[in-house]
Amino acid sequence: MSAPRATTAPPLLEMRGITKHFPGVMALSEVDFSAAAGEIHALIGQNGAGKSTLMKILAGVYQPNAGEIIIDGKPVRFQQPRTALRSGVGVVYQDLSLVPQLSVADNIFLGREAGGGILVDQPTLHSEAARILSELGVSGVDVRRRAADLPLAQQQLVEIAKVLSHKPRILVLDEPTAPLAEEETALLMTLLRGLKSRAIAIIYISHRFKEIMNLCDRATVLRNGRLVKTVDVASTTEMELIELTIGERVEAFFRHGEHQASDDTPVLEVEQLSVGRTVRDVSFQVRRGEIVGLTGLLGAGQNELARALFGLTLETSGVIRRDGKSVQLHSPKAAIQHGIGLLTEQRKTEGLVLNLDVRANLTLPSLSFFRRWSAFIDNRRENRAASAMAEQMHVKTASTHAPVGTLSGGNQQKVILGKWLLRDPDILIFISPTQGIDVGAKAEIYAQLTNLAAAGKSILVVSEDLIEILGISDRIMVLYQGALLQTFARADANEERLLAAIQGNLQ
Amino acid sequence: MSQSSTIDTMTPTRLPGQVRAWASSNSALVAMLLLFAFFGLTSQTFLLPNNIFNIFRQMSVVAVLGIGMTLVILIGGIDLSVGSSLFMAAGISALLLRDGSTAPVAILVGLVAATLVGLLNGLLVEGAGISPVIATLGTLIGARGLALVLMDNAQIRVTDPFFDTIAVTRTPGIEALNIPGIPLIAIIVFVLYIITALLMRHTIYGRMVYAIGGNQTAARLCGIPVKRIKILTYTLCGFYAGIAGMLIAASTGVISPNLGSGSEFYTIAAVVLGGTRLTGGIGRVEKTIIGAFILFMTLNWMTIRRIPTEWQQAATGLLVLAAILIDRLAQRERAS
Repeated sequence: MSAPRATTAPPLLEMRGITKHFPGVMALSEVDFSAAAGEIHALIGQNGAGKSTLMKILAGVYQPNAGEIIIDGKPVRFQQPRTALRSGVGVVYQDLSLVPQLSVADNIFLGREAGGGILVDQPTLHSEAARILSELGVSGVDVRRRAADLPLAQQQLVEIAKVLSHKPRILVLDEPTAPLAEEETALLMTLLRGLKSRAIAIIYISHRFKEIMNLCDRATVLRNGRLVKTVDVASTTEMELIELTIGERVEAFFRHGEHQASDDTPVLEVEQLSVGRTVRDVSFQVRRGEIVGLTGLLGAGQNELARALFGLTLETSGVIRRDGKSVQLHSPKAAIQHGIGLLTEQRKTEGLVLNLDVRANLTLPSLSFFRRWSAFIDNRRENRAASAMAEQMHVKTASTHAPVGTLSGGNQQKVILGKWLLRDPDILIFISPTQGIDVGAKAEIYAQLTNLAAAGKSILVVSEDLIEILGISDRIMVLYQGALLQTFARADANEERLLAAIQGNLQ
Repeated sequence: MSQSSTIDTMTPTRLPGQVRAWASSNSALVAMLLLFAFFGLTSQTFLLPNNIFNIFRQMSVVAVLGIGMTLVILIGGIDLSVGSSLFMAAGISALLLRDGSTAPVAILVGLVAATLVGLLNGLLVEGAGISPVIATLGTLIGARGLALVLMDNAQIRVTDPFFDTIAVTRTPGIEALNIPGIPLIAIIVFVLYIITALLMRHTIYGRMVYAIGGNQTAARLCGIPVKRIKILTYTLCGFYAGIAGMLIAASTGVISPNLGSGSEFYTIAAVVLGGTRLTGGIGRVEKTIIGAFILFMTLNWMTIRRIPTEWQQAATGLLVLAAILIDRLAQRERAS
């Protein structure tokens, strides 16, 4: 490979030509990746680029359709995570896998308690756990405390300790700093630098380019399931990394058509809206024909805000006005009646009823349109409307009577959008609209968004993908720790400014 | 019927493939026909029209309970209290008749009582958030207890001409062929099934039930009032239990303290034999009557063959397990 090597010795880990298909999606296509002992190797790419899939293949969670994994010059095959762990591959996943009711020590040694017999040798367990933590430079964690009682950052450290206690030679960290505050992140950085001396290869997945520039030796960039390039971090710039991540063709992705808001009257006004403890005093307006992007770091409150606008959270305070009139959005039903629709990235759990056919899914929010004799559905009108919508959306299906679960991911997404188009709300809220779908389907969805806005719909797009937000929004709102930090006009926004803003630096 | 035919025509496969697909999605019907043929070949009395009508009458109560139970299972719930609701409805009607009420009043009050038990189930599950098994176990015990208090813990005779008429009326038979008339009770059951099946297929309520059972979150996000529909479904289940109570009052003529107890298990068995998934969202009301028929013709045949009742019970359990297993295998075949 063209990848520069940190050392001349053969790398500890080599993955060659890794290919993985999922139904409807090519997740990885002939990806090469290597990592040497004693290096921290960043793995970067947008959502859906294939980072997590590649690491799950390394960890034995998925089996590749093609390609080989070589550790220490020997080809290996991991049928399950357990065997990978035994061969020295440890993974710290994004969502913590601690058992909340168990103590820190129990969590660290889960599944291989000391003592050998039925009884657990508690003192040995505790002293061993304490030793592992202190070796990591972690102080102030009582190993007898329940994991659930620890702050999130300490839970993260315990998780890392748990994986390290298996003495892995390859350590994978999947966005470890996403839930951490600044000081905690700094602590983690120190810890990881310390690990380098133990001849461990660390693979570090992150969206935060600054961290990567500070911490990592090399970086491998994936895009749409393909290897873009592996670079030495010392001889590259943050901008170069960002550009590699985005790719050139991004420009063609978005139609920068200037669909000015057709009139200035706001269709949605939000005043001093607070949602539980996640969103604080947010005020903004959305005008007719406008696409507003809403972004922030993971957990900054953008999802909760969007869900509250669809009546999914009851712990809200503040005023919401639709067309100037104050409204109570206490249920999705109420939100829909006030002309609001919501599409989320959770196609299978929130978007579709997989057993039901395409027709029933398309008409589910608009059943009242096809009502006759007060309680009955006018089947003929319903079928006609569903078929027309399936055609308009280019849904590829044998029949509108096929169960929607038999469709590919992209076509399922079209059914979800189609069902809202049939309902025809004035405001559409999209949460991560293109997460996990392929480039072709992405382009179609962006085109649809632009068309909808041109037709006078107001659109709120929630996404952590800055490139996407920049590409489609007329206006961009940045949330930081639950508060609206700053609103950018399209002309004033760029990647660098947004990247700074989501991390709390006012521009 | 329109649905399965469109699916069949859209996949142009060889005929055996079509037959296979049809059989795997109608496994309950296929099983019923096979068992029916087997029982007919191994018993001389089984196929006699009078015996078949007998089976209809024996299954009528469980079949009617099965309508409401299918709806509740479709929304992902379960109702263990149907036997007690049935008992309460029958007991209250019998009390009113004994004390001089007219039949319409007695029937109305009995139906309302059972419907209220259903409503209570719905409120406990959807309002108070108690799991359906626990909530309906509570009403199973409570409703029977309350009815027994009202009845002074004694059995009550039902001596009303209207109830008697329901019990004994039959359509005219064909004497030349020695075929007796069909019992009115069986006709009532079939009519209830036809009406409910049509409602499930063609009403907004029916569509919402399938949407909620298939994916409650998605249904809610489409603006479906999930809680209200689920409470309504439990209430309907109570209403059908009330109708079953009227039928059992008419056909047995006496309300004894343990009437209808244990019927919830036969009812759930009939629903499962009909192919409705306990996880919700998949199944059809009309298939439950097939399940009930399989169950009761098997019991009938075993009785004809003089198999002891304890063995009959064991065999019933095995039958239900076999049905679930076959359905699983068919599902796996369809998936691959």
